[in-house]
Amino acid sequence: MKGAFNVLYCGVGGQGVVLMANIIGRACASEGIKVISGELHGLSQRSGSVHVHQRMGDDVRSPLIPYGECDVVLALEPIEALRYAYFLKRGGTVVTSTVVIHPPAETSMIVRGEKERYMEYEDVSSALVSSGMIVYGIDPLSIAMEAGEPQAENVVMVGALCALEGSPVSKKAVFSAVADSVPAKTKEVNLRAFDMGYLELSKRLRKL
Amino acid sequence: MSPYDIRDPSAQRAYMMANEAIVRACLESDVKVFASYPGSPTTEILDTFERICNDMDVRMDISANEKVALETAVGAAMVGCRSFCSMKSVGMNVASDALYVMAYTGVRSGCVVLLADDPHAHSSQSEQDGRWYGYNSYLPMLDPSDPQEAYEMVKFAYALSERYGTIVLLRTTTRINHQSAVVGTSEMRWTSFSKVNWKDNRRNYSAVGELARKGKMRLLETIGRIADDTRMTSFNRIEHFDGYALKKGGPGRSDGYTFGIATSGISYQYVLEALMRLKIKARILKIGMINPMPVALISGFLEGIDDLIVVEELSPYLETFIASAAQGSFSGLRIYGKRTGHLSEFSELDVPLVQRAIANVTGAEIPFDHLEHLKSMGSIADGIPMRPPVFCAGCPHRGTFTALRMALGDKGKVYLSNDIGCYTMLVLPPFSWSDSQLCMGSSLGIAAGVDLAAEEDVVSVIGDSTFFHAGLPGLVNAVHNGHDLTLLILDNSVTAMTGQQSHPGTEDAAGGRKGIKIDIEGALRGVGVSDITVIDPFQIRKSIGPMKEALKRSGVRAIISRGECALYHFRRYRRSGARTVPFFIDQEKCRKPYNCIKDFMCPAISLGPDRIPVISPHICVGCGECAQLCGFGSIRSTAVLKGGEDRVYYTPEDYGKLKEATTKSEEVER
Repeated sequence: MKGAFNVLYCGVGGQGVVLMANIIGRACASEGIKVISGELHGLSQRSGSVHVHQRMGDDVRSPLIPYGECDVVLALEPIEALRYAYFLKRGGTVVTSTVVIHPPAETSMIVRGEKERYMEYEDVSSALVSSGMIVYGIDPLSIAMEAGEPQAENVVMVGALCALEGSPVSKKAVFSAVADSVPAKTKEVNLRAFDMGYLELSKRLRKL
Repeated sequence: MSPYDIRDPSAQRAYMMANEAIVRACLESDVKVFASYPGSPTTEILDTFERICNDMDVRMDISANEKVALETAVGAAMVGCRSFCSMKSVGMNVASDALYVMAYTGVRSGCVVLLADDPHAHSSQSEQDGRWYGYNSYLPMLDPSDPQEAYEMVKFAYALSERYGTIVLLRTTTRINHQSAVVGTSEMRWTSFSKVNWKDNRRNYSAVGELARKGKMRLLETIGRIADDTRMTSFNRIEHFDGYALKKGGPGRSDGYTFGIATSGISYQYVLEALMRLKIKARILKIGMINPMPVALISGFLEGIDDLIVVEELSPYLETFIASAAQGSFSGLRIYGKRTGHLSEFSELDVPLVQRAIANVTGAEIPFDHLEHLKSMGSIADGIPMRPPVFCAGCPHRGTFTALRMALGDKGKVYLSNDIGCYTMLVLPPFSWSDSQLCMGSSLGIAAGVDLAAEEDVVSVIGDSTFFHAGLPGLVNAVHNGHDLTLLILDNSVTAMTGQQSHPGTEDAAGGRKGIKIDIEGALRGVGVSDITVIDPFQIRKSIGPMKEALKRSGVRAIISRGECALYHFRRYRRSGARTVPFFIDQEKCRKPYNCIKDFMCPAISLGPDRIPVISPHICVGCGECAQLCGFGSIRSTAVLKGGEDRVYYTPEDYGKLKEATTKSEEVER
């Protein structure tokens, strides 16, 4: 694949952000697509903000996406989508969970009268849209619970990513990568979650 | 960690983290002994070795600290076993005492030591530049640019190590260690472990006086021979970027290039991407072996160059050597880099910074200015709440520090000497507390000085793993010199911060092997501490009194706060089949004093309708710490709704009984 396709995965420590990138990375490897990812470990867990840079294509060398060159932000939590939006190119795409996880620091500010109210999903989406980004909000948690396991919300998002145009990796390869990356006893649930996430975003794309 | 199975003997092209590729290269090099102390960004090396050590018959220690780890690996290599040791940047400060002498004595079998720097101090207390350790110790040092090269360099390092009988250093940075990519591996021919016969291999590895001088002479001769060894050229090379693509290059004036770039490590990748965008011609010197520096290659590279930029992170290491190589022979050469301010000695580099620096030197036009984009997008996230890491739901530290704050009344009354671990987060909100926090074990040494100099009482805070790593000498010192201090030992059963590895105070050793648990109370008594108080961090109110008493007494008083790391505890708890029993806030009874939110910051608690706090049942683990802060008794265990007890932390057995009692009602959801 010529050029580059850049995805920034983000969310809150414990949500399974790294696994999302690992699944796509594995799928790329199976199809001979050059892929590199940059992650951080250590202190970034513990309910903190987590993000992984992933770059696909022949021309990529840096594990970090240069500001303004990110094609897609795939977010398991909307506030985190907004936090890393500065990596997106103008007119870039955000696929985000609509389920806000309020940071404890924000709750503390509100009860101390230092802040009026929580930041909600609508605040995030309007800030992104007014900056020219294309935003798709989905509820991967409900979808994952319907699939049979709330923890599969990251795989729902991976399915959604596959529905987007421009991703160099095939849906089939990602499907196999999901099957190979999750524990055997949760395989069925995760594959269902993947398909449901794919379907959800496909439906939304057709409507537009 | 990637899903790649490192034990698969076949050659593959698989997606993996550099830390895994490094372990794979060790296995292909038939490494038999591994020793390490965990530390980001190297921890996945230890974790990967631990995962495979039983299957692959690798003898492994999770050592008490980095110095012991290095000595363990080198000890094995001295008698004739290939060994590997990994540590983070600051770990080498602990190990370096041994390293400098081992450089003199050399090793018999291959020994490679990985040293991982952390520019930007993502998860370290400093941005120190470990490259100087190679230069300072006269040991060969390699600096990989991507996971594939890291893998290849490890294999090369073993050949080099055995050819010259020396330790070889592999220096990485966070962006290498924590980079995942498709790595091509080779077939692995694995042999089973067998002990070597020392009697047949015996030689003297001592260094002092005359022996040290002999060792130094041998070392100087070795590093000189390595410098002359031309087989290093695949890692040290000259390339041409012709404005569009990268080509193999060579030294010499005849190629028509007048602009040069010297670089190594991750910076090499940033340089190539910047050049692809700027579309300018450059002769590139890519240095893979950064000690000894390839002086002859540098001279050839500089032929015909008018302007040179040195692109590297942290200190002007390459720049210093290149400038000194250029002196005299290349007087017209202009060198740009750290010294000219084109690049900063602060933090990491990236494509935007390198592109700008190259454009500033060459006058090339920047097609898309990332830094301008960053400025224009800067306001998009205005007012966004910060999300710093916090103590987990069910973390014992939150309870311990809440009790300590209550016992003191005013936290300004004492000097709080903190140490390295999860509890370092004490310095962040909500506690925003710590007078100092420097390096492993320093809580005790600093406390001695503060006790000598300040009117205030001193409280030292140290975790169980850090206590064994570097706390003991400071404690012995404090006892012997008669210092007054309260030592708060946070015993959460594991090295929590790096992913809950075992340590000398745990029953397990590496790979699930049975270890001998070193008893903290026994260690304290052994060095003369008789004033020992043990508290339960999940019983905040009950802990305040004993803490107050201990704080009033004199001498070295130890308070051990004993409660398992929540991540570690609940992983095992859930595996046993039990479900956590969360707490809830009685919405009728809550008077909204917000004690459970202010100064507590549990990730499970947020505000619900009418600003009454609510507990998220999928995050709460039922530690019950918050319930003890509520003056109105409105926080209770959901167990009471099912006929169970209002108590903290249900054990698997308790949970079984609770389930039995509520068989008629619905099952208590987690």
